Amino acid sequence: MANIDSGIFSSYKRNTDLFDELFDENGSIKSVYQELFDLYGAHSIKDYVNLNDKAKASFFNQGITFQVYGKNETQEKIFPFDLFPRIIDSNEWEIIEKGSIQRSKALNLFLWDIYHEKQIIKDGIVPLELISSSNNYLHQMMNLDPPGGIYNHISGTDIIKHSDGNFYVLEDNIRCPSGVSYVICNRTALKRALFGVFNHYKTHTVTDYGENLLDLLESVKPKGVDNPVCVVITPGMYNSAFYEHSYLAKTMGIELVQGSDLFVENDFVYMKTIRGPIKVDVIYRRIDDLFLDPLEFKPDSALGVPGLFAAYKKGNVTLANAPGTGVADDKAVYTYMPQIIKYYLDEEPILNNVHTYHCSRPDELKYVLEHVHELVIKPVDEAGGYGISIGNKLTKAEIENVKKQIKESPRKYVAQPIMSLSVHPTYIDKSESFEQRHIDLRTFTILGKDKEYVLKGGLTRVALEKGNLIVNSSQGGGSKDTWVLKN
Amino acid sequence: MLARVANNLFWMGRYIERSEHIARYLNVNYFSSLDAPNSLSQSRQFVLHSMLFMVGEKEEDPTKVLIEEDVLFKIGLDPDSPNSILNNIKYARENANSARDLISTELYESLNKFYHFSVNYPVATFVKNGLYDFTTNITEITSVLRGKIRGTLLHNEVYAIIMMGMNIERATQITRIINSKYNDALKAQLNCGEPLSKSFEWTTLLKCTESYDMMRRFYKKTPTSISTLEFLVLNPNCPRSVMNSLNQVYQHILLLDTNRYYNKSSTAFLVGKVKSEYQYKHIEEIEGNIKSFIESILESLSQISIKMEKEFFNY
Repeated sequence: MANIDSGIFSSYKRNTDLFDELFDENGSIKSVYQELFDLYGAHSIKDYVNLNDKAKASFFNQGITFQVYGKNETQEKIFPFDLFPRIIDSNEWEIIEKGSIQRSKALNLFLWDIYHEKQIIKDGIVPLELISSSNNYLHQMMNLDPPGGIYNHISGTDIIKHSDGNFYVLEDNIRCPSGVSYVICNRTALKRALFGVFNHYKTHTVTDYGENLLDLLESVKPKGVDNPVCVVITPGMYNSAFYEHSYLAKTMGIELVQGSDLFVENDFVYMKTIRGPIKVDVIYRRIDDLFLDPLEFKPDSALGVPGLFAAYKKGNVTLANAPGTGVADDKAVYTYMPQIIKYYLDEEPILNNVHTYHCSRPDELKYVLEHVHELVIKPVDEAGGYGISIGNKLTKAEIENVKKQIKESPRKYVAQPIMSLSVHPTYIDKSESFEQRHIDLRTFTILGKDKEYVLKGGLTRVALEKGNLIVNSSQGGGSKDTWVLKN
Repeated sequence: MLARVANNLFWMGRYIERSEHIARYLNVNYFSSLDAPNSLSQSRQFVLHSMLFMVGEKEEDPTKVLIEEDVLFKIGLDPDSPNSILNNIKYARENANSARDLISTELYESLNKFYHFSVNYPVATFVKNGLYDFTTNITEITSVLRGKIRGTLLHNEVYAIIMMGMNIERATQITRIINSKYNDALKAQLNCGEPLSKSFEWTTLLKCTESYDMMRRFYKKTPTSISTLEFLVLNPNCPRSVMNSLNQVYQHILLLDTNRYYNKSSTAFLVGKVKSEYQYKHIEEIEGNIKSFIESILESLSQISIKMEKEFFNY
């Protein structure tokens, strides 16, 4: 039997100020992890290093890699993966699952409303500027009824556990959230390396995502189509998420197309096959709104399909997610989520929102400028962890610089208290030992016509640099297999 | 299947096949020259010129003194030389990348390992003493890939497209190798008076195509120009022959479309026509004019490729 004083956890340094997922405040193992701790503790660090190297090679050989855009060259890297899984028990999961669905539904109703009657603005719940000043608002979507009434078919919700032990949502991603393929690959890699540990836990499967996604796509087919032809559209193989696009197409058994594979004729969309054109009914698109159609949006986009939006407007093809969803996952809308949920669903939010200061409001701007050192400053419309400043990590000069930027365009920034993401023991190559690292969780929610589903697992992302709070893969984050336990 | 993806898979097949033939050509020519019977065939310069000739990088000045390490690097691992083995493998993987959703995980994983093996192979070792090791590995891994193509893909249109690419490329490369060795045999005749029909180069040619053992088994005689050509061009049972490749191309184009051979403008019709032409050729027709045979078969293969492009890859 392993204990804290020997085996792979012997040099684990526990900072008691942080919320540790494995150890309680007294340093005892939480009951749900006890068995796993015993199993892993029985290994020497050498065994572990060995397994870890094998897992890495397996990822590399399978080509499960992503591109990092550097200053000079683009590099092919594996997504760092940690063999010690994160466990979420069924009670905690229930909160996460219900909370994720609640948010996705509320966002969907919000989108319908702001692209139709705008009742929520008329009722004074959210200000008009929220919409009118957003870069992601598409006037082209006004009064359009997407099939099944669904805008955000696939949502990625980024959830953390704060030092108070409660879950908070940091972000809703309802444009083209990525990462789901890693959830499945992490599971596969862990099974290959340490299949024995699965005998001791009853864990939900994560391999049913593809079937559910295909069900969803088929459920939102255009009117009058019996057997819809569904495709995934990708910007191409040099996109950082190309592996995921090909993985999803493969598991759903549908074609992975690029813009140049499609054309539009009489407002219908066709793909060019070896046997001539075949009509396409539903497109799971992994390219951004503005690149979808050069005739409607960015005229120089080579990724999209000329005429696609007109076909969409006529209801001849479904796009998932719908164009224009970005207006609702921007960080300014986020701050109104409790009110939005209450307004449409008449429910209290299940998952907490982090309190947010709007730099667009003079009094809040004043507070932010005075407290930069203890806040996280975020640009409202950047994805991937870019442009985030964490106050207590900045030098004086940097703080002044941030203040200057905020003053120049207050609407562009929001600020939040620095949340303390929970930590999880994570194997660190450099020190060849387990160390505390901050983690979050991205859940994947599918919303279809009469269908809702949350992948039972999600992507636990790990900030691999000591003390770092930013978990995005583009910023050097890794991930863990995430086990949701059955009752 | 998407036309673009079909095109990529077709070329994936071609590049895999091509890398194997180049690797084998380097290997066999280099090592069989070490103890070749006549002084010309034994000379390093002769072999290096022959290697460049085969990959289409012929040195126009035949008296130019080539540096062994430069030639090996250029054909093997030079990232800036479009015909290098390394680039062939890189193109094969790139083509596979864009069709990853259609090919099996097993095939992709092998191809990916193949790429990492080549791209990480130390250049200094390769040009000094790694030629045997590197080229042997390439030919072994391509065999594994062929096995994965056959054994882990549905035998449907995806498979048919890849097999068409591989077989058209095989016929092309075999013809190029014949051309190259024919050229060498002519040189040996001119320089050392070695009679063309009994040239040592025919043995090397058979070894370059991994057909020496099969040929000995079939004829039970020392290879001559006529028996070698007959075997490598016309024998349908030799898996490396032009005839065998054409039969395979025909078989797979039918898998791709069972109806089109009635249509005289289809690829299937053209393949059938070319195949029949060689089916009823006899070796005396070829032997008398090897040069024009080589030109005409390469032309036919290129016509098939162009036709395929028009019919299937036009996007």
